[in-house]
Amino acid sequence: MNRRTFVGACSAILASCRKPSRIRLALNWKPDPQFGGFYAAPYSKHGLDVEILPGGAGTPTVQMIGAGSAEYGVISGDELVVARSRGNDVVALFAVFQNCPQGIMAHASRHLASIGDVVKEGTLAIQRGLPYARILEKKYGFDHVKVVPSPGGDISAFLRDEEFAQQCFVMSEPLQARHAGVDVTVFPVSDLGYNPYTTVLATSGAQLKGDPDHAKAVVAAVREGWRTYLNDPGSTNTRMHELNPSMDAATFAEVAEAQKPFIEQEDLGVMTADRWTTLIGQLAELGDIPQVFAAQDCFRNL
Amino acid sequence: MKRFLPPLIPFVAITLALEFAVRSGLVAGYLVPAPSAVFRALLDSRDELAAAMAKTSAAALIGFALSTLAGITIAVLLSSSRAIQRAFYPYAVFFQTVPVIAIAPLLVIWFGYGMKTVIAAAFIVSIFPVIANTLTGLLSTDPALRDLFRLYGASPGVTLVKLRFPAALPQILTGLRVASGLAVIGAIVGEFIGGSGLGSVVDVARTQQRVDKVFAAVLLASVLGLGLFGLINVVSAVTLRHWHASEQQ
Repeated sequence: MNRRTFVGACSAILASCRKPSRIRLALNWKPDPQFGGFYAAPYSKHGLDVEILPGGAGTPTVQMIGAGSAEYGVISGDELVVARSRGNDVVALFAVFQNCPQGIMAHASRHLASIGDVVKEGTLAIQRGLPYARILEKKYGFDHVKVVPSPGGDISAFLRDEEFAQQCFVMSEPLQARHAGVDVTVFPVSDLGYNPYTTVLATSGAQLKGDPDHAKAVVAAVREGWRTYLNDPGSTNTRMHELNPSMDAATFAEVAEAQKPFIEQEDLGVMTADRWTTLIGQLAELGDIPQVFAAQDCFRNL
Repeated sequence: MKRFLPPLIPFVAITLALEFAVRSGLVAGYLVPAPSAVFRALLDSRDELAAAMAKTSAAALIGFALSTLAGITIAVLLSSSRAIQRAFYPYAVFFQTVPVIAIAPLLVIWFGYGMKTVIAAAFIVSIFPVIANTLTGLLSTDPALRDLFRLYGASPGVTLVKLRFPAALPQILTGLRVASGLAVIGAIVGEFIGGSGLGSVVDVARTQQRVDKVFAAVLLASVLGLGLFGLINVVSAVTLRHWHASEQQ
């Protein structure tokens, strides 16, 4: 071994020993299939050490990214636009759900024909602050429906009351309701013309600027993770089920299958300026942001 | 003036410091709102906030009144015999440990959406300090005075009304002071799930990332808490000023 190869070998060994600095990825809910690709991602292969922080109801991931308590986080597209208008410089890097998986579910026995029928009578459980809730109110009015707070993922009130409708993840609560023997009709919120990117991987402008290669590596790992998860969610589901035993293994498999059409496209996670422009326009019209701004600031396809 | 000046100084100092911190960019406005932004939110949404405040006040007051009545009654029953106390006191502790946020969805199923659920949440979280403090008060009557009552042949009822209850008042009032703040917290937690009031305003504003409005609603909630606290202080001053050291300057 000559001197040069010796030095080369030593530096290679040193490089492999040097631990990559640990970064935090904050989720806005418990481990479940909507985060499958994040758990399946081969971070170490891309020289990354990522700690995934599971969240819960109301985990303020967007503020956490801004405050630096997590380098990366999962947020929704509308949250990002509002945050930016308030001076929180967050940038979207990868949009898992290309089509918004949120909707409103009602009992099939009511024979409702469109999303507008949901507010004609009965009770609607919805988070009133959400943009789509306000679009629904603006379009159809809430005069004839009793609006109550959303019970999160809990469907017990729904099961007991036939006139009860509630906001849902299209591939989550309706599934639970069917398991409980109740037939449901689901109206996706995109029926309202509102279709933001959701389950969006985001980081702060400062983090992106400071280490663009790092962000690139994270996105590459996440994209690979999602491809793996879409092809074969089995082993990742087992891991996530251990972390979140409240969701049973069969449901994990079922949801992973049901969410595929919302995620699948040739280049996973890639976003377009048009979609962001539409969203910014809708939020400005609702008064959630004081004025429209350039869509290019919101996202980066890496 | 002498009474109001001391608490006013830290208030003004903290407000100014916060305003400066946000304006100079030391703290991001989306994490902690500038006091001026909170004030503006109070003005801009005054009708909505006033209506919400009225609802929360009503629910917290009713919940507090119920826990006062029920709490004192339970404590009187518990103090009547050692056996009853041993049998039931552990269950009273249940109220202190019950995580109201966890059972709130059940409250909705039992009482429906709206005021009843909110009152129930306020009641559940505020009853324990009333029971615990009243019981301690009732059990620590001066033995010499009790002997005196017995000597004169006073019935247990008369002893309770004329001696044990009045002697327990300082402790009862301490329990009520603790309970008053808890009733407001309970009401707001109830409103997160049951709808309406300041809890609902906080929930909506949080979804919209309006920290200024969240703080405005929280500020009103603390005003409500302070109001209830003040009410107890007035009762305390009226009932204790002639004989208890805590109300005599």
